[in-house]
Amino acid sequence: MSETAVLSVNRVNKHFGGIVAVKDMTFEVQPGEVLGLMGPNGAGKTTLLNLIAGVYFPDSGKVLFQGKDITRCAPHKTCHLGIARTYQIPQPFTHLLVRDNLRVAATFGSKKGDTSELDEILDLVDLSKQKGMMAGDLATVSLKRLELARALATNPTLILLDEVAAGSTDAEIPRILAIIKQVRKMGKTIILVEHVMKVMVEAVDRIVVMDKGEKIAEGTPGQVMKDEKVLAAYFG
Amino acid sequence: MKIPRLITLIPVAALVVLALFPVIGVSLSWLNYLFLFFIYLALGNMWNLLAGYSGLICLCPHAFVGLAGYTLAIGTLVGVPFQVGLIAGAVVAALFALLISYPVFRMKGIYFAIGTLVLPEVLRVWFSFWRPVGNVYQGKGAGYAVKGIADITLGDTYWLGLAIAVASIFLVYIILRARLGLGLTAIRDNENTAASAGVNVFRLKLYSFVIAAFMMGIAGAAYYIFSPRINPVGGFSIRWLLMPLMATVIGGEGIEEGPIIGSAIVTFLTFLLAPYGAWSLFIQGIILLVVVTVMPQGIAGLLRQVGAYRFPARLLQAVEGRIYKA
Repeated sequence: MSETAVLSVNRVNKHFGGIVAVKDMTFEVQPGEVLGLMGPNGAGKTTLLNLIAGVYFPDSGKVLFQGKDITRCAPHKTCHLGIARTYQIPQPFTHLLVRDNLRVAATFGSKKGDTSELDEILDLVDLSKQKGMMAGDLATVSLKRLELARALATNPTLILLDEVAAGSTDAEIPRILAIIKQVRKMGKTIILVEHVMKVMVEAVDRIVVMDKGEKIAEGTPGQVMKDEKVLAAYFG
Repeated sequence: MKIPRLITLIPVAALVVLALFPVIGVSLSWLNYLFLFFIYLALGNMWNLLAGYSGLICLCPHAFVGLAGYTLAIGTLVGVPFQVGLIAGAVVAALFALLISYPVFRMKGIYFAIGTLVLPEVLRVWFSFWRPVGNVYQGKGAGYAVKGIADITLGDTYWLGLAIAVASIFLVYIILRARLGLGLTAIRDNENTAASAGVNVFRLKLYSFVIAAFMMGIAGAAYYIFSPRINPVGGFSIRWLLMPLMATVIGGEGIEEGPIIGSAIVTFLTFLLAPYGAWSLFIQGIILLVVVTVMPQGIAGLLRQVGAYRFPARLLQAVEGRIYKA
């Protein structure tokens, strides 16, 4: 394991009852990197994100964030350390205004409780016009953007993006790619779970492929797509 | 000097008028009604803070009221001044909240509600047998009279109730505009998201729970200065839960003025329906059912929805314009 990794996941296991959700998972993410996490439905991708964010604790194994052991850190603590996450199914504060959704994240999540950059974040994800709306009244696509905005408002080092592009039309994909690139330019490290292949191929540096809780391949998008195990997992 | 806005002057004027009532010879029965209104208002405000803003359906206000009442009664029996007993009662209620927080916060939503509901029952039974001071024959381990309040007039207790009600309104007002309020509303909307946005869910819930317990304790102890005899059945009576619950739900849960409107209504109904005895709660229950069916946001929610505040607000602005032009 290298000293410089932002995140290192080391032989992590998690099962729910008799079902193995994540098995012996090991990988690292380097600073500024965009790592793609791929796999068929039920491969354990979201569980893995939950293990990193502290929603679940692993049965065994270790998670290190910037060299610090965060294996058994609660979600609000991992957030304070600099890990932000979005939810696959948007989970907004429905009875709060869009801007207040971000204000919660900035006030409680960022180190200084700094709310000065909220308008820039809203601009970045194209939600400026809706900032005075109730979050519960937003359309699904906007809710996905709000997830990302809320994550950014905590001023994180590492962002876990769980299917930000899912449900978007083809016309919206380039904008999402541009936003991800912009976030990357801000110096954030990203783990991206995605089914939309176009986003995966264009946005990420490296891909980890999971199947049935295990890592079956790792490499650049080009390498991974040719991997026999990956093809077998997806196409049988 | 900044000119005070009419909108702030109106509550101040109302407060002054209310405070003058005992002096200007308002009848004792009216002071009586209003005192109970103040106590229900304070309880309702705190219940609204928990249920409406923190997502905690707390079904144990009668634990806080009973504990505070007993602390006051036992305190005055051993010679503590009632003022100290009042504060001590609130502190005991807050400590009790702190003590039970860890186990009850492990339960979420409806489980939390049920978990809290059994606590006052346990306390009621406990206080039926446990008698820390005083002779056993004074009610077989049950009742206590509050001592040392012979000089207190109804006017004094009235002012105490008024002060507690106003304090509870201010407390909610301040909390909702502070960092704590933002975090609490986030928790109420979505606990998981709140946690992943950095909110320490347990700690914030604990703050609001303990604050509410303290305030409910003070309100409860004040009631036992007004009605200076406590026993387990009365002190841990479910009416201390039903009154704030109905006040909040009828008035409008999660709306600041909700419990104010609601507690005025339930107090009025309590006296109106008093001649019908046990039917009173039954009738109030039916009213509650009708309200939640017809206006799920409560009366204040309905008023906001139909824009009922718009006309008075415009009227105020117009009057302000006239006054300040002159």
